[in-house]
This record gives sequence, structure tokens and C-alpha cells, in this order.
Amino acid sequence: MVLATPTVNRGLPFRTGGFRSLLEGLDYAAGGETGVNFYNGRGELEQVLSYRELRDRAAALAPRLAGLGLARLERVAILAETSPEFLVAFMACQFAGLVPVPLPLALSLGTHRTHVERLRGMLESSRAKVAIASEAYRGQLAEAAVGTLVTWIGTHAELAALPPSDRPVLPLGPDDPCYVQYSSGSTSFPRGVLVTQQAITANARAIAEHGLALRPGDRCTSWLPLYHDMGLVGCCLTPVLTQISVDYLATASFATRPLVWLKLLSATGGTISFAPTFGYELCARRVAANGLVGLDLSRWRVAGIGGEMIRPKALAEFARAFAAAGFDERAFVPSYGLAEATLAVTFAPLGRGVRADTVELGEAFERRRIAAPAGPRAQRTRAFAICGRPMPGYTIEIRDEHGRALPERRVGRVCIKGPSLMTGYDHNPEATRQVLLEDGWLDTGDMGYLVDGELVVTGRSKDLIIVNGRNIWPQDLEWAVERLPGVRPGDVAAFAVTGEDERERIVVIVQCRTGDPRQQAEFRRTVQAVINRQAGTECELVLAPPRSLTYTTSGKLSRAAARAGYLEGTIRDLGGIVPVEPGTPANSPRGPLAEVG
Amino acid sequence: MPAAMTTPDPDRLLAEVSELVARFAPPGAKLERTTELTSDLSIDSVAAMDLVMEIEDRYGIDVPVNEIADLVTLGDLVDLVARQLGARG
Repeated sequence: MVLATPTVNRGLPFRTGGFRSLLEGLDYAAGGETGVNFYNGRGELEQVLSYRELRDRAAALAPRLAGLGLARLERVAILAETSPEFLVAFMACQFAGLVPVPLPLALSLGTHRTHVERLRGMLESSRAKVAIASEAYRGQLAEAAVGTLVTWIGTHAELAALPPSDRPVLPLGPDDPCYVQYSSGSTSFPRGVLVTQQAITANARAIAEHGLALRPGDRCTSWLPLYHDMGLVGCCLTPVLTQISVDYLATASFATRPLVWLKLLSATGGTISFAPTFGYELCARRVAANGLVGLDLSRWRVAGIGGEMIRPKALAEFARAFAAAGFDERAFVPSYGLAEATLAVTFAPLGRGVRADTVELGEAFERRRIAAPAGPRAQRTRAFAICGRPMPGYTIEIRDEHGRALPERRVGRVCIKGPSLMTGYDHNPEATRQVLLEDGWLDTGDMGYLVDGELVVTGRSKDLIIVNGRNIWPQDLEWAVERLPGVRPGDVAAFAVTGEDERERIVVIVQCRTGDPRQQAEFRRTVQAVINRQAGTECELVLAPPRSLTYTTSGKLSRAAARAGYLEGTIRDLGGIVPVEPGTPANSPRGPLAEVG
Repeated sequence: MPAAMTTPDPDRLLAEVSELVARFAPPGAKLERTTELTSDLSIDSVAAMDLVMEIEDRYGIDVPVNEIADLVTLGDLVDLVARQLGARG
């Protein structure tokens, strides 16, 4: 019978910093008994990998990798399954002086073709020479590698069976890169963030010491995919660099049975776990049907939230649903981060819960970009989650379109500076130049404002809709529609198109699930009323078939793709005139599942 | 755990799986082997994972994660269930 790794090391002192590379941190953790544990979809422990075993297996695999004859720092693509083999291969690259590139998994019905294209884009842009997957995904990866620079594709077992190189290999050191993270960018233009050893060790230390105030006795539970920054950095590499044990559930297991996450956390005494808002939302939706059945969430002290815009209402519903299981809503910790900063930039103070800033959405907010607190007589308001101050060593500046710093409560571009910013997108100086500014600042592309030095994110700047000089945030329109019955998060995309009169016009695409003409007509009337009211202007409404909308690998709704689909006519209204064509080309991973990745 | 079918009859399996799928499909939708789960029946990713759970519970099998992306039609799903039942013996 397998036993999970312990929460606390017997003899090894708890250490959160002073490591100059990931391997230094792994080597230190290998002196104790903690490690990572893999559970199946029923929450049963299947595999255990102590940090000592991880180090030893990775060190043994490294000469086999080196035997493939790659030049130092060449890229090695690894399908990021939640498995011991993925972690071993990732660390083996570190030992072999090679740079691992974790690749995403497809989790939606019928997305094989689009996913293969996405993988191919990543293999091309990273210039990977080697690609590794389990037997289950080998064929898919081989299909994606056609026409790329990949010269060796194989399974973990095949790699382990290769003859070792007899030359000594130089591991990745403090001045080297650590890995490449794909999480932003579209399928056709993927952008891989090159994360350095300095960046990962600096960010993990700040997360551990400041953001989470980790201490002996902490234990992490995670279902987040290891190809996403929150899963890889937050719930894998930071635990390695702090000797924290982790209990893993595969992302698909969570998606099938969300409550297994909470059962696992309850059973193992997990104190730290992160999810985007929708992860909490799925649990709250399921619990009504399933009941709380012996859950104890009272030890959960950091229920982190990140990865997408934070929705305070959905989180409040989770807190209500699980209060009887001992969940304390003060455990919620909103945070802000992005792959370009390795992961985290801000954390709300521990023990405060979700605090929202409610602003008035009138003329001042939309035209003059002033986020004024809503008074009692405010007509239209919006509650934004407050995401906390930047961690020590990090600075945030809100800037206007001319690059000038703005004062508090003025909405502008969120620019950041700190010890874990990327040095650039991998092999993509042009994309790098667009975001890396002078004096070490990075333009995140997000819009936000500051309140008492704390960051409030309001949306993505490139999606901002400007109509008649008024700024309208597409999220506002989308969320207003998503609150209607029969509409799910991720069903709505709002954007602007420029008409022949050179004026911007708002288009809102809503995925409609009913085929009944009468229900459709009624739905159309309701939605039209809501969007016109929210935008304060007439909007064009397109009721589209489900799966018309697409998502980036990090789960952000691709409004650009929605806009392009609309303009090209691939996303069309269901209503009467245009028949619905099965298998229209706009199909791609969508919805909460895709948001995970 | 529901009783296992060791040698599933193909027609019976199609009928059973169709019955499960029908709960996630629009009322009155035609269910045939060639019916596409997402484009014809509008089964989205949340519903898809619910369906996977129902299938796993009904037959006491695991639906391999790596095969979810390959499921396009109802026939694909029926074949997967048959394969998993067969593999389990």
C-alpha cells in the first residue's frame, strides 16, 4: 500500500529562499521526506514521488536526454500530464542543461484537430528538437510534430531506455533559463515566455514568504494543469523550492467530479489551494445535488484566486455553500499575476477574504476613466475585486496612453517592474518589444487602477470598446448577459467593429442553447434589453450556436477571434434566415474546461 | 458499482448510451451513430464532463482522458464504451 508523503520534514529545517536555481532547491528538498502525490478521479492515492526520488530519477534520466546530442539550452517539449513522469522529465532537462517546454492537453469533446494545430504552433515557435509524452498522447504529439524541427519523439519509457551519454553534462545554473511557458497568445501566434532561474527562484520566494507566508505544516492541493503558470509555478515549483508536499488531482478528474478536489483537500489536511473563480463556481453548483458529506474545510487557510477576472459574487456563493463544512470566507486570497512575470505580482492580505471596490459606471468611468466609489444613488455600478499590493521588490504603475503615470482611482494600463519579469518571449523579439518598456518595466496589457496602493484589474486594454468617445468594458456587457438564466460563463463575447461611417458599433455574441423558435425570440428580447441598458447604446446582438466562441490556452475569452469570426461570417445568427450548419469552422475548445488550460 | 456487461451487444449498447446522451441533448433530437455530440447536440464542455461521469458510473469503466478529444460522434462514444468494457474483460 502506498503512503502519501508527510506534511512536515523530520530533520530538515524549513527553508523558503536562498536558492539560486531550481536544482539547488530540489537538492535541498531531497534531504527530507516530503514530495508529491497523485490521486485518481475517485480521490484514491495512486502514485507517490518524494522530492528525493524526483531528484534521483531526474539525475538518472539526464544522461539519456544528453545522449540525444542536443546543444546546450535547446528546447525539449514535454506534454504536461499530471504525472510523476512529467516532473521527472522536466527536472531531467535541468540536469542536462536543456530547457523544458510544457505543452497543453486537450480536454474537450471533438477538439483533436484544433489541438494538434495548437501543439504544432508551439513546437514551431519554441524550435523544440525533442518531444516527450506518455504512450496515450504519443500519436497526437507525433501528428503535431510533422514539419517541425523535432527530430526525436518518444515516450518517457523510451527515453529512459536510451543509452546514456558518456560525456559529463552541465546542469542549468543560476544565470541560465529554466523553462518556456506557453499561456498567452492565440493558436496561430503562440507566445512562449522564457522564464529564467533567477525569475523562478525570486518569484517563488516572494510567493512563499510574502504572498502565502508559508510555514511548516502547510500542504498544497492542486488540480490545476501543469502547463499553466498558476499550476506549474504556484502549485509545483514553489512547493519544490519550499519543501511543501502537494496532492495532485488531474485536471480532467476535477472537471468530471469537481467535489473530489474538496474531498481530497479535506482528507489530506490541505492548507493551500488555488483556482480561478469558475473552479469555485463549479463546486458550488455541484454541492446542491451532492451535499457536504463529511467535508472538513476548516484547515484550508489560503483559498487562492487568480487566472481570470475575479468575480466576487460567485465566490460569495461558494463561501455560503461550504460554510457548514467549515470553510472560512476569510481564507479567500485574491491575487494578480501573469506568465510574463513568472506568476505572481500582488496578493491581497491573508485572512481578509474578498474585498470589492464598487464604482459608478457612468460618464466619469467610461469617458474620463475615473473609478469613483459608487454613492447610494448610483444607477449603474460594478464591483471589482481588490487584488492587493505588489509583493516586496515589485512595483506597479498605472499609465495613460502616453506612458504617463496616473494617480489613484484613475484607470489605465497596468505596468509592472520586479525581479521575476521575463527577459522576453522565446524566439520572438518583435512581440517582446511590444511589452517590455524602458527601464525594466513591462506593460501587462491589462487595465486597472489603484486604491490605497492595492491593484484593481478592470479588463484587458486591447479589448476596450470606445463608442462616441466613451469607454465601455466588454466584460461589463458579457457579465450582464451571463447573469441571465440559461446563460453560462463564457457564453458571451462583446467587441466593437468600426462601421463605414468610421464610428464604432458594439456587437455582442451570445451562445444560444435552445432550438425552439419561440424560446429563442423571447431570449433575444431579454438579452437585447440587457445589453442596450448596460452599454447605454444600441448594440447588435448575434445569437450563435454553442461552441462558436474560442479561448486562449490560459482560458481567456478570445474576443479578437470572436470579432474575426463575426466579420468573416463564420459566426452567424441562428435566427430564421441563416440555417445552422453543423461543424462550422469556428469550433475550438471553449467554456470552463478550456479555461482550465 | 453497477453490474458489468462482459460481452456487450452492439445494438443494446447503442440504445443504452443514446439514452444517457439524450439527457444532455435538446428534446426530440435524432440520435444515430453519426450524430455529432457537439455540433448536432450542442453538448458543451461542462455537459460533456457530466456525460463522461454518467458513462463511467453506469458501466464501471474509466474513460481515458486522452480519448475525449477524439470523440466526435455518438458512434465514437459507443465504440469507446465497448472497448473499455472489452479491455476490462
